[in-house]
Amino acid sequence: MQFGVKENSKLQITNTPNIFLEMRNLLRLIYNYHFPILFLAFCGFCFFLIFQNNNFQRTKYIQLSHSTSGNFYGGIDNFKVYLSLKETNKTLSQENAELRNKLENFRKVIKDKRDSLIDTTYKQEYHYQSAKVINNTVSKQFNYITLNKGANQGVKADMAVITKDGIVGIVEGVSENYATVLPVLNRNFKVSAKLKKSNFQGNLSWDGISPEACLLHEIPLNVSIQKGDTVITTGYSSIFPEGIMIGTIKEFNMKDGSYYYIKLTLSCDLRKLSYVMVVSDLKKGELVKLQNKMKHD
Amino acid sequence: MIKEISKHTGTFFLLLLIQVLILNHIEFSGFINGYLYVLFILTLPFETPKWLLLFASFAMGISVDIFCQTMGIHAFAALCMGFFRPYLLEVIAPREGYDIGVKPDVNSFGFYWFLKYATILVLAHHIVLFYTETFTFHQFFFTFLRVILSTVFTLILIVLSQLLILKR
Repeated sequence: MQFGVKENSKLQITNTPNIFLEMRNLLRLIYNYHFPILFLAFCGFCFFLIFQNNNFQRTKYIQLSHSTSGNFYGGIDNFKVYLSLKETNKTLSQENAELRNKLENFRKVIKDKRDSLIDTTYKQEYHYQSAKVINNTVSKQFNYITLNKGANQGVKADMAVITKDGIVGIVEGVSENYATVLPVLNRNFKVSAKLKKSNFQGNLSWDGISPEACLLHEIPLNVSIQKGDTVITTGYSSIFPEGIMIGTIKEFNMKDGSYYYIKLTLSCDLRKLSYVMVVSDLKKGELVKLQNKMKHD
Repeated sequence: MIKEISKHTGTFFLLLLIQVLILNHIEFSGFINGYLYVLFILTLPFETPKWLLLFASFAMGISVDIFCQTMGIHAFAALCMGFFRPYLLEVIAPREGYDIGVKPDVNSFGFYWFLKYATILVLAHHIVLFYTETFTFHQFFFTFLRVILSTVFTLILIVLSQLLILKR
């Protein structure tokens, strides 16, 4: 009888503080392995510092992450492209026809002029290269687009990305075979824009609210504007060619001081991108050199 | 104990000063650099707690980083060295083990033991340091040559400093 009681109390002791026991085991585990754990924690902190403060290492890291995510999305997109094949074909053939028409017009103009003068303005200034969008977000504050062309295909940072409808964005990072684009729908995006009708110039940015609309700032109140007016690129930044469509005025008011508050409807729907054109300015090197020279003088 | 701590703190700052003021400005033919500050991690006493060892290594590395403008790179290399040290000491321990109160230096264990100990740790440190600095295996053998040459240079400095202490 006595023996039974003893056994019982022993059982209780081992059973009740179960949580504490496990807690103690966990603490012991941490204590036993505190050296490697501490080492890994310090390593993590070191790499945080390295990527935070050293440009070279950070660039390498970003390049690596670009090319891995590029490969990954490329694989997924290889499959997804079949689903939208019909629509893509349609837009491509439309564009083909449009370009053919334009070509005919130009041929006529050149034929007329060739005899009389050698015109340097007909020299090619921009080079267009088609690229496929393999990843695209529109729902975040800082959206990015990934393209399937990279440094090997001649894509460089600060090239313009457009479609036949209008502007899309600017190439930001480039790996060997992929490029990331900073689209209009990113709160860091800024480009100069002008009203087609009156040639007044302002700044374009995005407020992060709707993927259809963006804002045009710094148009003075004395300019007369109307709903539906067209806004185009200026060509000052030497990124976008002049006169690329951006969008139309959706609404405007005179809220603050001497400038309009203008909301634009983007002409190119960034939610439905499949093929885009990467534009390289063939005379950009010359322009930048000249501007730098002015700065130094 | 307090005397011991203050002595090692003194070593810390002395080596940091030597590293920052003198050695960082010495570059033989462009790519042989000496990193004498690792001597601090080499000569910490055997009975240093492991967490303190890591902490001291990290502090040493990050202090050098601050002056070299290479945030994190030296800290990472020094940290790895501090991490390997206890395992290495276990492997190359003499048959009778380490006595309490002795330090891993030439005085207590002789020149060859110390050279073996220092070579392995300094090599580990330099490998981590140089490959983190270049951050690529692209020119693997060129970087490795730099590692070897700098290791030799650092070892010469370490041995010289030990000889100075021995004489005194």
